[in-house]
Amino acid sequence: MTISRKPGILSTVSLALLLLPACTLCQQERDEATGPEVVVMVNPANKIESISMGELRRIFSGEKHSWPGGLAIAAFVRAPGTRERDVLLARVLRISESEYKAHWIKQIYSGESQHEPLVLVSNGMQLEAVRAEKGGIALISAKDLHPGVKVLKVDGHLPGSPEYPLK
Amino acid sequence: MFRFMVIVSAAFCLAGSSRAQQADPQNQQETIQALRQEINELKARVAALEAGQTKTEASAEVPSPVQPANTAAISPEPFGFHRGIKLQGFGSVTYKASDANPPDLGASLGFRPGSAGNFAVGDIDLFLTSQFSLRTSVLSEVVFSEQSSGEFETDVERLLLKFDPGDYLKMSFGRFHTATSYYNSVFHHGLWLQTAADRPLVVEFSDHGGLLPSQAVGGSFTGRLPSGSMGLNYILEYGSAATIRPQITSPDAPEIEEHNSNEITAGVFLQPDWLPGLDVGGSFYHDHINPEGSNLHIAQAISSVHAVYNNSRFEFLNEAFLIQHKIEETGQTFNTPAFYTLISRKLGAQWRPYFRYQYTNAATGSPVFPDVGLRHGPSAGIRFDANDYVAIKAQYDRTFRRDLPDFNDALGQLAFRF
Repeated sequence: MTISRKPGILSTVSLALLLLPACTLCQQERDEATGPEVVVMVNPANKIESISMGELRRIFSGEKHSWPGGLAIAAFVRAPGTRERDVLLARVLRISESEYKAHWIKQIYSGESQHEPLVLVSNGMQLEAVRAEKGGIALISAKDLHPGVKVLKVDGHLPGSPEYPLK
Repeated sequence: MFRFMVIVSAAFCLAGSSRAQQADPQNQQETIQALRQEINELKARVAALEAGQTKTEASAEVPSPVQPANTAAISPEPFGFHRGIKLQGFGSVTYKASDANPPDLGASLGFRPGSAGNFAVGDIDLFLTSQFSLRTSVLSEVVFSEQSSGEFETDVERLLLKFDPGDYLKMSFGRFHTATSYYNSVFHHGLWLQTAADRPLVVEFSDHGGLLPSQAVGGSFTGRLPSGSMGLNYILEYGSAATIRPQITSPDAPEIEEHNSNEITAGVFLQPDWLPGLDVGGSFYHDHINPEGSNLHIAQAISSVHAVYNNSRFEFLNEAFLIQHKIEETGQTFNTPAFYTLISRKLGAQWRPYFRYQYTNAATGSPVFPDVGLRHGPSAGIRFDANDYVAIKAQYDRTFRRDLPDFNDALGQLAFRF
């Protein structure tokens, strides 16, 4: 009986070992297809808990300059070619890189905005900037999040939920 | 059987981990790049901290007389804040061929009336901005404008001290482009910014023959009204306009100086969250004018409405105007209706064909627009964006005029920013 059970346990372990890399491959292929989830972070002093896609679009297109209460918004973006920049352009603003540049030239030229969002070359710098600026806001890959910032719901959905829009 | 399964499992595990490690060398390279970047930043910070510490230690070793504390004078700038002047330029070179007879100045810049075709530089636009704080800045637009004589005139088109306390109130003081039209508020002198090679006549700058008072000096107040996702905005302007316009069908005739009184403009517009790119609104402008040589006092009222949809691929501009002049001495009223519509669609990444139709109908005997009359017609063109800085445009216009022969214009334009 004992002899007969031992191969059974080992078979189960072996099957799990067989499935584990297969699952890892599946997850990895999913990540390659969609990329890691991107979250919206603000300074912990900011009282808002949730933001709509419309507000995000108006912030990063320079149409909205202040948080409720009057605090000036300081928006930060990543450099071209990064996951955060791709999500910002494709999901939030729905424009191409060259259209983004042209939009900001028009925005500043018309006097609507004083400057475009500051471009930062790493997520570490983004974290530091949002921690330093009370009105700071930036998009960051969930895997690079560290303490000291607040993550916002987007359209009422938390990162990780099926309806979360910034995937 | 058991040994076989273990071996197969181990092989799959190794294959999986190997696949994971070799999955995306580009990602790994990017990660390494990002880590190197962070290391460099941290090294720089450590060096700065060490330098500061060394300085503190050095100053601590040498006893010095007591100095007054000056900590209040050190106010850290916001992250990424840069003082100084930022300069941006816009320019263009345009070739225009026209068969207008008699010569027609139209809405073109720097062209010789009567010439079958010639090149012109048009406007050279220097745009300067400077930030004092997150909420205070200066904006200036200086234009060197080519006249039909070939000479250049310098004009301070805009000079604004801007203060933005919040989204509900943004204030500007100085010389500004009036909110008499959407076009005048959004498109300024850089031809690179607009799709077509020229502006519709009604919204052309007044010193180039346009019909609206395009500039004023005073205060401008704009902001968002509490309206949720509807995105309702307002604009209020009070200032002094100084409109001087050439006569477009008689380029050699003296310019008409309107001697405007102080003007007031009020407008509202919707920019709803649920349809980004949609802008619907209108404005009302009022002042009194006394056109030079006419001895008439005229109340001028300009109403405008616009419906615009503009996204990354599609542009649809529609604007209509009613310019009303009421002579105070006689009570006689002259109405000038006008509109333009422009539709364009981006094809691929670089091409944008467009079509425009414009209409202006100044009343016969108008004391302010004696040169305009009825004129309308289509324009068709294509814009090619060679890169982020240079656009090439080709445009054909046909213009029908009351009591005057129709005419055709062909324009080729190189518009750029620098």
